Amino acid sequence: MALLEVENLEIAVSSKGKLLPIVQGVSFDVDDNETLGIVGESGCGKSLTSLAIMGLLGGTTVRITNGNIRFEGVDLLTLPEKDRRTIMGNRMAMIFQEPMTSLNPVYRIGDQIIENLRQHENLSYAKARDRAVELLTLVRIPNPGERVDSFPHQLSGGQRQRVMIAMALSCDPKLLIADEPTTALDVTVQKEVLDLMADLQKRMGTAIVLISHDLGVIAETCDKIAVMYRGRVAEAASTADLFTELAHPYTRGLLNSIPFVDRDIEWLEAIPGRVPTLEEELTGCAFHPRCALATDLCSLIVPDTSQFKPGHAVQCHFPGKVTS
Amino acid sequence: MNAVNFLRATFKGRKLATVGFIWLCLIALAAIAAPLIAPFDPLEIDPVGRLAKPGWPNLFGTDHFGRDTFSRAIYGARMTVIIGMGSVIVALVAGGAVGMLSAYFTRLGHFLMRGVDVLMAFPALLMALVLITLLERSVYNTILVIGIVYATTTARILYGMTLKLKGEVFVDAAICSGAGHNSILFRHILPNLVSPLLVQASFIFAFAQLQAAALDFLGLGLPPEVPSWGNMLSEERIYITRAPWLLIYPGMLIVLSVFSMNLVGDALRDSIDPRFKDDIAGV
Amino acid sequence: MSEPLLRIANLKTHFQTKGVGLFGKKKVIKAVDGVSFHIAPREVLSLVGESGCGKSTVGRTLTHLEKATSGEARFEGRNFLSMTPAEFRPLRREIQMIFQDPFASLNPRLKIEQTLGEPLFIHGLCKTWDEARTKIAAMLETVGMDPKVMARHPHEFSGGQRQRIGIARVMILKPKLVIADEAVSALDVSIQAQVLNLIKKLQRDSGVSMLFISHDLGVVRHISDRVAVMFEGKIVEIGEKRQIFEAPEHDYTRKLLGSIPRVKIGKEVT
Repeated sequence: MALLEVENLEIAVSSKGKLLPIVQGVSFDVDDNETLGIVGESGCGKSLTSLAIMGLLGGTTVRITNGNIRFEGVDLLTLPEKDRRTIMGNRMAMIFQEPMTSLNPVYRIGDQIIENLRQHENLSYAKARDRAVELLTLVRIPNPGERVDSFPHQLSGGQRQRVMIAMALSCDPKLLIADEPTTALDVTVQKEVLDLMADLQKRMGTAIVLISHDLGVIAETCDKIAVMYRGRVAEAASTADLFTELAHPYTRGLLNSIPFVDRDIEWLEAIPGRVPTLEEELTGCAFHPRCALATDLCSLIVPDTSQFKPGHAVQCHFPGKVTS
Repeated sequence: MNAVNFLRATFKGRKLATVGFIWLCLIALAAIAAPLIAPFDPLEIDPVGRLAKPGWPNLFGTDHFGRDTFSRAIYGARMTVIIGMGSVIVALVAGGAVGMLSAYFTRLGHFLMRGVDVLMAFPALLMALVLITLLERSVYNTILVIGIVYATTTARILYGMTLKLKGEVFVDAAICSGAGHNSILFRHILPNLVSPLLVQASFIFAFAQLQAAALDFLGLGLPPEVPSWGNMLSEERIYITRAPWLLIYPGMLIVLSVFSMNLVGDALRDSIDPRFKDDIAGV
Repeated sequence: MSEPLLRIANLKTHFQTKGVGLFGKKKVIKAVDGVSFHIAPREVLSLVGESGCGKSTVGRTLTHLEKATSGEARFEGRNFLSMTPAEFRPLRREIQMIFQDPFASLNPRLKIEQTLGEPLFIHGLCKTWDEARTKIAAMLETVGMDPKVMARHPHEFSGGQRQRIGIARVMILKPKLVIADEAVSALDVSIQAQVLNLIKKLQRDSGVSMLFISHDLGVVRHISDRVAVMFEGKIVEIGEKRQIFEAPEHDYTRKLLGSIPRVKIGKEVT
């Protein structure tokens, strides 16, 4: 039994009286001490998936319409609110993209960490404060004894993100969901934060779900990867397997679109067209309008998820095919 | 977006606001077609039939001069519309110009907006009173005075919005294209202010009625010969015990119209550009 | 060597902050603090650095969106930093800017044809709307869009499409220097590739010089001839692209290059 099991997740948004599916048939699992990367561009549904796991979808306009989410064997979707709150922030935690808006600007950072601690553990204020300073040291904030009394705006972007990580890890969770944690940071700061997360994972054995649009970040930090396109998992495999042979044309197209720092290329092989909007209804494979290999079959039938190789799942009619 | 779609989008799901809108249309209709609808001449005196109770043929009864209250109410709608629209035009043009130019030309703005601040320190009614005593009583002057009163808040609101728009990237892009001040003000900034201006207009229309009624009540607004709901209240107030209907009807008309305008204003505000929603608090 | 198209000497743009409280000390923020470089005709120079290094401010100073504090900037030999708005206006045709945010750079109230036509009329390149529409149609096709879109409004288009329209607005004047301020940073990776290819093609075909401002070293490598690395308002290293990427001399450049996450394909590292 994996730590987190997501099975056939479906999320829909109600717009003008209709239910439009945004995420369909998404399945993956995460084991202890493992890092899963979910990569995709805007509109692919990766953020919504993470919000669904944490139970932050709201439930009125956007809601889960099908599927299962199991954490430590417990079905999260049927769990009563009271029990869910004992898990959130405690055994499962989340960090977001914009540390300035995820931290409350009017409270000191120490107090925000302490609040999370005392919510889940029976600690006196003094003990909680000590633990907060410990955590700030753990995330390499300089002068943690003083900084614990700082306000968010007194810290840099990178430091704020580390505070978020400290808050998330305060109760020693088994699973950390990080939604674009370094997108808003400079590249040198990004490296520091990613190194920190890898180090903490080694020390505390936390499993991580890392969501990003940056294939480089995902490739360097994750053990296994799920590539999402327009609400579905196009391809999923271990990092090594994925980059040994890319099975899905979208993944290949994505890789070819990235201008690399170590190579001079004349022209990038861009994927033509654009991601269809939510309202545009499609038949068949969501990627077929932009796919060089598309045939009539692709425009009519949604491909099943098949095993391209053991442990390497693809959703394509012609996985592994490079030219038509 | 054409007018029909705009109306539909604004009033969809808002029953009260739609009713208010219909009421305002009726007022406008009454104002335009007054000579055709009114059963009697509003100025015609009938000393014999004074203070008659509402019934037939005087639907709203008669006042202390024997004038038909219903007809006066219909002609009063004219004043409602004229004062309302007039004040809106004065306030939007004067206030809008001051606000927009103050934000665009910052050094001029510091000077002008301090002046606006000073004027805003006066309660609206007080300012209206002071201005009207300097001028003679007339329809034009009433419009002018009320317009100036609300020009101040309009200036303040448009000042804030123009500052926000000035910093928008597409304004930078227009500057880089070589656009001059005129172009930027009239092509880029002003069209983006139309929606909030419209909302502001609806609130001013409503509050202008109250100001006009207050001025009339104090005997300082419209000249007494002009039938207006505020004048009706003012002239008939001593008869409150003997003929309460003379106050109830004009009073109710004022309340309903102001209420309707506020509802319409709220509906408009909710349907405009979300960037500016928080800037408009009404007048 | 012939006179470069653009020559910047010791450019400084400082901002004064209001002091805190009534008598607070005013701070000076030295956004650009002594920057010098030149760009030859037909050349692409990239200005790369992290947030706060001043690269965007350099671009904005050159287009008079910010006021330079001191220094010289010569375009075809003429110093243009201290020109009045009226004097600078004709130069605005030659020096154009592509903005970062495709969703904010187009006036939502104007049709595309109005946005693209405005610069044509301002600089006297067209006298009638018929003339303008012909030019606009041609330009839209050049950037890969259907000329029919000129009758529509920005909100009907995606980020990538809007950025193409932004590029069309710039190129329709046939400028000599284009400043691209994070022109592809707000786009998804697959769209970014399309737009980058477009920019590269347009630059090659028209021979326009470019000052390409970006924080993304991969993008910079793809598009530039020369690269200048900025840090805290100053250029710490400037040189030919190959040299910067393969044999960087300054510590900061090396740190930047070392921080970029790499994708390992098969056995080779990319």
